[in-house]
Amino acid sequence: MRNLIILSLLFTIFLTGIYGCQKEEIDDQKPIIDLTDEDTFPLSCDTVYFGEPFTIQMSISDNKELGSFNISIHHNFDHHSHSTEVTTCDLWPVKSPVNPFVLIQDYSIPSGTALYQIYQILEIPLSNENGIFDEGDYHFFISLTDKEGWSTQKGLSIKMLQR
Amino acid sequence: MRRYYLLIVILGLSYMANSQTFTLKGTVSDDLGMPLPGATIVLNPSHFGQATDANGNFVFSSMPKGDYTLEITYIGYVAYKQLLTINKSMDMHITLFPVRQTLQEVVVTGHLTDPAHKENSLTVDVANTAFLKQHMGGDLMKTLDRLPGVDAMSIGSGQSKPAIRGLGFNRVVVVEHGIKHESQQWGSDHGLEIDQYAIERVEIVKGPASLMYGSDAIGGVIDLKQSKIPEPCTAGGNVDLTANSNNDLIGGSLFAYVRKNRFYFTMRASVADYADYKVPADSIDIYSFKAALHNRRLRNTAGEEQNIHFSVGFVEKHFTNRIFMSVLNNKQGFFANAHGLEPRRVDTDLHDAASRDIHFPYQEVRHIKIVNKSDIFRENYQWSAEVGYQQNLRQEWSNYVNHGYMPAVFPDTLPFDADLERAFDKYVLSGNTKISLRPFQNVESIFGLSAEYQSNTIDGRGFIIPAFKQFSSGVFTYWNYRLPNNAVLQAGLRYDAGFLHTDAYYDWFESPKGEGSDEKIFVQRASELDRSFSNISWSVGYVATLRDFDFKVNLGKSFRMPIAKELAANGVNYHHFSYEKGNADLSPEVAYQIDFGLEWQSEKLAIGLTPFGTYFVNYIYLNPGFEHDRLYGNGNQIFTYSQSEVLRYGGELHAHYAISSVLRLGIIGDYVYSLQTSGDKKGFALPFSPPASLLLNARFEPQGTKTFVNPYLSMDFRLVGNQNAIVPPEEKTSGYQTVNLALGTQINWNKQSFNVALQIQNLLNAKYFNHTSYYRLINVPEPGRSFVLNITIPFNKSLNN
Repeated sequence: MRNLIILSLLFTIFLTGIYGCQKEEIDDQKPIIDLTDEDTFPLSCDTVYFGEPFTIQMSISDNKELGSFNISIHHNFDHHSHSTEVTTCDLWPVKSPVNPFVLIQDYSIPSGTALYQIYQILEIPLSNENGIFDEGDYHFFISLTDKEGWSTQKGLSIKMLQR
Repeated sequence: MRRYYLLIVILGLSYMANSQTFTLKGTVSDDLGMPLPGATIVLNPSHFGQATDANGNFVFSSMPKGDYTLEITYIGYVAYKQLLTINKSMDMHITLFPVRQTLQEVVVTGHLTDPAHKENSLTVDVANTAFLKQHMGGDLMKTLDRLPGVDAMSIGSGQSKPAIRGLGFNRVVVVEHGIKHESQQWGSDHGLEIDQYAIERVEIVKGPASLMYGSDAIGGVIDLKQSKIPEPCTAGGNVDLTANSNNDLIGGSLFAYVRKNRFYFTMRASVADYADYKVPADSIDIYSFKAALHNRRLRNTAGEEQNIHFSVGFVEKHFTNRIFMSVLNNKQGFFANAHGLEPRRVDTDLHDAASRDIHFPYQEVRHIKIVNKSDIFRENYQWSAEVGYQQNLRQEWSNYVNHGYMPAVFPDTLPFDADLERAFDKYVLSGNTKISLRPFQNVESIFGLSAEYQSNTIDGRGFIIPAFKQFSSGVFTYWNYRLPNNAVLQAGLRYDAGFLHTDAYYDWFESPKGEGSDEKIFVQRASELDRSFSNISWSVGYVATLRDFDFKVNLGKSFRMPIAKELAANGVNYHHFSYEKGNADLSPEVAYQIDFGLEWQSEKLAIGLTPFGTYFVNYIYLNPGFEHDRLYGNGNQIFTYSQSEVLRYGGELHAHYAISSVLRLGIIGDYVYSLQTSGDKKGFALPFSPPASLLLNARFEPQGTKTFVNPYLSMDFRLVGNQNAIVPPEEKTSGYQTVNLALGTQINWNKQSFNVALQIQNLLNAKYFNHTSYYRLINVPEPGRSFVLNITIPFNKSLNN
């Protein structure tokens, strides 16, 4: 009997260990990319045109402090990857790239900011030294961090066309 | 005067009588009649001790007449004790039986009372063949996952890597035939290249064991043994057959041996082939995107494995020399809808056509190992030496995707295949030697040397670590002082030195140097780097037994040399949206740890507690910063290797209670807490911290019959807590409960015996997530209900007829 008491005592200690352990407060919240604002651009399936500027408009926020963000645009002619949005757009048939457009750009966010409105004008050239850029399906990919190193990614399918 | 003469004569006679000595010799074997080499024999009160030789023999020559206690111990076996009156020379045959009635049902574990166990004042768990068969999982680590404080970090259903008390990767050393297993331990998608059919015994050292095993053993050691040597003039073997209903695995292994007198030969061939594994979900929630599954199978996680082993041995009374050779091949698909964290659109028609085929992305590994092991067993010393050669080739294949500034069309002028994402080719040469002496009756001392050289080349379109060469060596000594009343005091000291050289690396494609600039460059990702390291580690321990209580304590300093990845990584891990950057200035990781072991045993009840506390002076971890990088990181978040102070504590609990001779209840629990106390992530935990878990077991072993020997029915109820102690980029993981059933027996039929073990894993088909799984971050649940069947058919023949 004494044995059973010892056993159940140890058992209780263990259960307390499992469920009762409260950690001290740390920031465990990821930053948020909000695509629900009326002015948000681009959204999935939007179109941008070569040779014309367009404005990225998104609101981003964090519970404590934002870090930085990066925007990249790359082709999706092979339908390869990472749409993180639920909507599916009509994709053009799979094709081989010849001279696809690539853009990678880092942006800093003023320190101490928890809520930020991205308003970034991007100049998209018509061509480079290899000729005019390929039209078709592209990915618009945004990666956002907060100061603690948590991150959020959004990948949007867009069309890039020559006008 | 005559009286004095008489006295002298009497004294002289009694002296002569006393000086008459005898020889005590004997053989120690297990319950199947196999000799047990390395069993510890102690003859008290003389404190004479020795270990059995390769044939299980021992000899105590020149023993004075008297009463003695003979104690024989072998880890995992019930200790043997006998009172002896030596008044003539004797030859004994002693059989040791595997530990059955005590903690084995919960977990096969060594006992603190066991002097062999006392060789290490750290916590040691042992799993034998019976345990491995009864709990067989998809790979060795999944099988061992049931042990307290041991976790499998799984990559699909057929591969995983070890973690001990929450430390894994390069912080756990796996040893096979005495040689450290070397592959690409640092990789999150790397699995352990070990054939679980070939393992006879596993000894797991929990806690820092750098003293005996060198750098990397900072978290613990998994020591895999194939120590049994066939008896003279016998031939035999066994056939293992395994099937798993979840991933439709069909596997098997054929083992055969033959021994004449001094030479023996063994061979083993194992195969496994499995399909995509089933999860209790219709879709996988990758971020907010729902990837639909076909027939609830995790697309493209099929795999196959082919292994072959040979060993040749020469066995003399006091000397053995054995050569072990093995080639392991495995190929395993990665979940097609996501490569790491990166979601992929897939050709569902191609992937769903068959569940056993393996398409892109997949990995292929070949591991070759040749080890020569020599042992000398003498009454007053034992010497052992191992020399090993290993080659590990690992390739990751996936469709070419032009990430970042890579060309849209793969040029045909490059020396590697467009679809070869990464490859690592490693050559390793290692050697150890060790001698155990008994300079005094109560003292055992060990002196050892070890050295290892690695050369690692890289290939493929992706860059994460540079090619490197590395040399490390160590010298150590370890002392055991046997105090009266069965207590043991231990102390050890070790010195290590090593160096590492990394090669320079340039991208194979051009990137635009600056924003708005037309200039293009081949980015240099690694420069030549030379670092050298040295360290002194030590440990002190004390083991004591007081009536039913056993107590041990160990305090030690351990260390780990930084690896090439930590020093010189400089590339994008697209699977994790991370740009991983090494830090050439890292210093060797140093940890101080205190370990306790407490065990109390009575006839019906046994309880053991093994708490520990660790302080890392400078734990090396991959720290996710808040910045992004364009040129080197192609727009990904920068993760930099950094060092911080870390505090860890926790422990394991195990207990069992025998309700009756046929029914037993058991508990296994483990808990780890970790906290970074300095640096950028102060206040956070460490990545891959296992949640607290508790396993409740009931085991029923009815009386067998002539046909059904040792039948058992066992049920595990596993209760796992939430894991909320996380660090970026991890996700919190909710707790879960699972039920596993196991039943089996040995069947004797027509002079042939069969061992049958059936398991039903995840009986309730619960959907749950494993915090330490590779696929956790993309919300892939663990496998659903599986029926696992293992049949072993032994065969043997005496060659004397």
